[in-house]
Amino acid sequence: MPIKTWELDPNFKNEIMGEAGGERLASCFQCSTCTLGCPITEIVPSYNPRKIIQMSLLGMRKEVLSNPDLWVCLICQTCTARCPQDVRIADVLSAIRRIAEREEEAGNLKIDSHRPLFDKAFQHQLEKYGRLYDIGLAKEYYPKKEGSFIKGMKAMMKDYKDFGMRMFKKGKMGPKAMLAPKVKGRAVIKKIFKEMGEE
Amino acid sequence: MSINKLAYYPGCPSDGTAVDQDMSTKAVFEKLGVELVEVEDWNCCGAAEVEDPRVVYALNARNLAIAEKEDLDIVTPCSICYYNLERSNKALKADEALCTKLKGIDSSLDYGGKIKTKHVLDVFVNDIGMDEISSKLEKKVNVKVAPYYGCYIGRPPETAFDDPDNPVLMDKLIELIGGEIVPNFNYMKTVCCGGPLMMTRGDIAFDMARKILDVAKNAGADCISLACPLCGMMLDGKQADIEKALGITIGMPVVYITQLLGLALGIEPNKLGLNKNAVDTKEILGKVV
Repeated sequence: MPIKTWELDPNFKNEIMGEAGGERLASCFQCSTCTLGCPITEIVPSYNPRKIIQMSLLGMRKEVLSNPDLWVCLICQTCTARCPQDVRIADVLSAIRRIAEREEEAGNLKIDSHRPLFDKAFQHQLEKYGRLYDIGLAKEYYPKKEGSFIKGMKAMMKDYKDFGMRMFKKGKMGPKAMLAPKVKGRAVIKKIFKEMGEE
Repeated sequence: MSINKLAYYPGCPSDGTAVDQDMSTKAVFEKLGVELVEVEDWNCCGAAEVEDPRVVYALNARNLAIAEKEDLDIVTPCSICYYNLERSNKALKADEALCTKLKGIDSSLDYGGKIKTKHVLDVFVNDIGMDEISSKLEKKVNVKVAPYYGCYIGRPPETAFDDPDNPVLMDKLIELIGGEIVPNFNYMKTVCCGGPLMMTRGDIAFDMARKILDVAKNAGADCISLACPLCGMMLDGKQADIEKALGITIGMPVVYITQLLGLALGIEPNKLGLNKNAVDTKEILGKVV
């Protein structure tokens, strides 16, 4: 793919470095240690954190933010632990994902992954209850992912019917798990998301 | 032994999918003479889904402040909770402006930076110590174990408390209680289980978990031992789903290190939740002598 220099955004690297966790981006010297040790690259060969970093440094904003591979990172921190330049790749990738999410919310981009929906649904449970509520999470995530409530519930049953029964039989998913947890200080959690979050 | 009381941060799966880890953690600490005081009204650490570090720091400032009021260090059995608590603790101790901002949001976020955060493995081996544990052992757990550490014990460097590529704390405990570490599993010790992608890219997550299970099986392990509830969900809870989806048979028991340690301390298997692991653990119980 030829790179058209007149389409580059020279400020993109500063945008990433201005995000919490993105600060060390420019230290990368492209050794590829991150990519060689990545357990995801082994399974998804197109996933190449070195390349995402180089494209970011070059200012290929659109290509980076719309790359579906951004969303297969596990945040397992192997790249960060091994990087000789302390780029903190897992944190840099996370900073890039947050920029992409904001661009999608602003209507400038369509993210080709369900992960932002899942992360959002998870955060909504925290805002509401202060702790993770599995059932609330599934009830928000699956319909959004599938496009309708009915389709969502069908997909959820397909993924979780066997697992749910297994956990129920072992006493790990009883009536207690059906009820939402309610942290007394949940008003504070709501405030945290409002004051510190990006939404 | 220098500690006799700790604040306990159970983490969200503790009354559901990882209740066995919660039960065994409490039972083991009781037997070791360390009192656990649950962090009152604790909130979620942010897990892997809250990606903004500033939100993670704020969420955990509340947890840390609650324990600090009791003047107790925090211990947690979950690797992800540990990572979030510890990095928040570090950030809050170093960043006064952040602390001031949090205090302005709510007085319950006013954390003075006076306590430590620890993972159970670290407490067992480095604080309580091998001699102390050894003096309380009642049984020999004669099993071949594949010790699986996952991500946040040796990584990232600033919160790690064991070697990033070949961690050994769990190995030490297993050997202490009479178990055997299987050969040829070392290179899988810290390869991610796939857990964080389970809900959005189940295909990748299953592939990753399968590798760990396969390597443990081929190495001749009686079981895999763990120190994280998400790893437990993937390798134990979802094992039957992985078998079904990939058309394979694995049948590998997966237990928490606290369950193995509890057996060696002579604790009843049901008190350790060993009847709650998804893959049957009876064969392991037969090897406790």
